[in-house]
Amino acid sequence: MKYVLLLTRGAWQEEGSDQERGEVYGRLVEWFAKHRADGTIVDAQQLREPGTATTVVVEQGRSTMIDRPLLEAKEAIGGYAVVEAPDLDAALELAASFPVPDGKVEVRPVVER
Amino acid sequence: MSSADPAGARDTRSLIERVFREEAGRLTASLVRLLGDFDLAEEMVSEAVVEALRRWPSSGPPSRPGAWLLTCARNRALDRIRRDARFRDRLPQLAARIEALPETAEREPDDRLRLIFTCCHPALDPDAQVALTLRAVVGLTTAEIARAFMVPEATLAKRITRAKQKIATAGIPYRAPEPEERAARLPQVMRVVYLVFNEGCFTTGGDLGVRRELVDDAEWLAALLAGSLPREPEPLALLALIRLHAARWAARLDGGGRLVPLADQDRTRWDTRRIRSATALIERAAALGRPGPYQIEAAIAAVHCEAPDWKDTDWPQLLRLYDMLLAVDPSPVVRLNRAVVISHTDGPAAALAQVEALADQLGRYHLFHATRAALLRDLGRDQEAAEADRKALGLTTNPAERSLLTARLAQ
Repeated sequence: MKYVLLLTRGAWQEEGSDQERGEVYGRLVEWFAKHRADGTIVDAQQLREPGTATTVVVEQGRSTMIDRPLLEAKEAIGGYAVVEAPDLDAALELAASFPVPDGKVEVRPVVER
Repeated sequence: MSSADPAGARDTRSLIERVFREEAGRLTASLVRLLGDFDLAEEMVSEAVVEALRRWPSSGPPSRPGAWLLTCARNRALDRIRRDARFRDRLPQLAARIEALPETAEREPDDRLRLIFTCCHPALDPDAQVALTLRAVVGLTTAEIARAFMVPEATLAKRITRAKQKIATAGIPYRAPEPEERAARLPQVMRVVYLVFNEGCFTTGGDLGVRRELVDDAEWLAALLAGSLPREPEPLALLALIRLHAARWAARLDGGGRLVPLADQDRTRWDTRRIRSATALIERAAALGRPGPYQIEAAIAAVHCEAPDWKDTDWPQLLRLYDMLLAVDPSPVVRLNRAVVISHTDGPAAALAQVEALADQLGRYHLFHATRAALLRDLGRDQEAAEADRKALGLTTNPAERSLLTARLAQ
């Protein structure tokens, strides 16, 4: 089955020293490389900071723009991964192994056509 | 059921109900495993029950009702998967496995264990886990489950539907967890078994107002868990707890089907063999050196079972156990039960004060009002006691409890 992992940003991205952050990014690169290589991760992207986001709101056929991301800062999305897993347990296990000091991962199945 | 029903039809219905209870859960579990679809499996089994209800009253029940039901559900499942495109690719294998379904599932308890753990998957909302297990594994109706939860039936039905949909669309696997992850998922499964047992003791319907089958179901589920996890103390204690209540079963109701309070029960009617077996389980659990809430609850039940009569119950020991229980489970219902013990160690006035502090949380719980009534009566406040009993009466539909309360009000 195919799932999307929505990865939130964590406090670690704002706090701690450059060296500590560097270590986390190192582990992340390794993690993505490993799971891309074994075919679990089909696609993944890191997003720019939430401050760069624009939200377009469509109402009654008209659109307006808001200069902020969709979600509250504490659950701002930092990236996503499209994964192929045999079942939800496997996808949840992968999400739980996401190597960050703090953060949340939403695991959502994809509509397959 | 209307009184115009001939006695034969009534017997047939209670037979179907019993067979359904014994066989339907197992049958559903096996079909879910094969088809990977809860709704379809349940539909097959309930269609078989409907067929039985239609035929048995005129033809008379078959000699082996369980086997009849299995054959009927099996044929419907086969017919259905042949017409369903989803199963086309694996039709021959599926058909062979459905035809090979054993007559009694005693031989394969794994299916039920798998089903329980799937229903109690941590990706499901905890309340939905309990509801779904009661529906799919034990075969309770949504009305019965709604009462066990003290929530409206519509809410409950929605909860179950949503859980089933999530299992199917999110790809929750149908399997029992590996040994190392099993322990983490066990408390939720035990809570479900506990609620089944609770529903058996204080149920909404049934001829006697109490459904022994549910307690047996709970005992069966607890034995299944204890047997597959011999090094976990809590399932052993849960099994002991259920067994201790089952041991007092014969003394729980009087000739008129009225609930007999523990204080007034004829203790010579208690099943001493069962009590001994339960205390042995408690000792086995204690030897594993990891205390837990079910071990404390089982110890409380054992103190009652070992007392020669109500007034010689070891109340100080019970109070110590309730304090331990409160430390791990600070729920209002535990506080209510502890207050009953307080009435014996410190008197009814002290107990009443503690009970009344729970009014906000337990105002819709009939045993809150019944307990309060008993304490008020001890204090000679008969008018208020009667009022509290009437409130309790308005909140329970259990016939055995109702007749006890009605008798108390008539005194």
